[in-house]
Amino acid sequence: MSTAHEVISAFLDDEPFDPQDLASALDDPAGRTLLIDSLMLRRIVQPVDAIPPMKAAAPARRFGWRVAAAAAMFVVTLTGGYLVGERRSTAPVDEAPPPTRVVQAVPFVPAGGGR
Amino acid sequence: MADSEGLFAAYHHRVFKYFCRAVGHGDTARDLTQEVFLRVSRSPVAVNGDGSAWLFRIARNIVLDHQRSQARHPESSALTDEAARPAHQDVSTAVNAALAALPALDRDVFLMREVAGLGYEEIAEACELTPDAVRSRIHRTRVQLRDQLAAPIATSRTMAATRSERTRKDDQ
Repeated sequence: MSTAHEVISAFLDDEPFDPQDLASALDDPAGRTLLIDSLMLRRIVQPVDAIPPMKAAAPARRFGWRVAAAAAMFVVTLTGGYLVGERRSTAPVDEAPPPTRVVQAVPFVPAGGGR
Repeated sequence: MADSEGLFAAYHHRVFKYFCRAVGHGDTARDLTQEVFLRVSRSPVAVNGDGSAWLFRIARNIVLDHQRSQARHPESSALTDEAARPAHQDVSTAVNAALAALPALDRDVFLMREVAGLGYEEIAEACELTPDAVRSRIHRTRVQLRDQLAAPIATSRTMAATRSERTRKDDQ
């Protein structure tokens, strides 16, 4: 079959074609036979009695997003808790706490006058 | 831009039909269709356009992997009970055999057009060819298959003529 009949394929496939070329190809009885046979071929190559899968495979990456979201929530909670705790604390952490009881020290005098 | 669920809704049936003819078994075709959309859902690639060319490039790679695997383990391929087949399955078997005898690229280009309904531009993108090369390959494959499937095509012509005759009689 000559390449002059390629225009018949383009016509069948709804692709751009030159109408003059198509007219010439269909003037040839072999071209007309090819057109009909190609239509019949299209019919018989369609799969029959086949049921396609009805739902998409579960995307695996969603699990990754969930883990990442949970980790981000954990970090935010931890940081927030630390900051709130620090703000509520009244005493500066680098100084000693104030005394609760003051004991006066008495000078030591040994018994017997130091002999 | 297309998401994986949108691609599934728009193309799963066409991908499945392509696999049915490319591998010749409905069950395998179903598994391979799931595999395509699993890869799509895992892919970080943002898809431009409607995504059909990208999707069928994945599908084609899966078919090629499957066929390499079948070549390594020929005993695992499913066998058909020749005696128990209905008549339409004889045609289907003849079609599968004729397709299997084609070079892989010609078969894929032809099936993407005839079964999956892709345009020449999309097929060219999926198979890394030019649209002109797609046009030539499709035509050449059609002519080749017409010769190999002459008997089923003749039967189909006769059946079409009979149906047309019956419709004409019913209308009168």
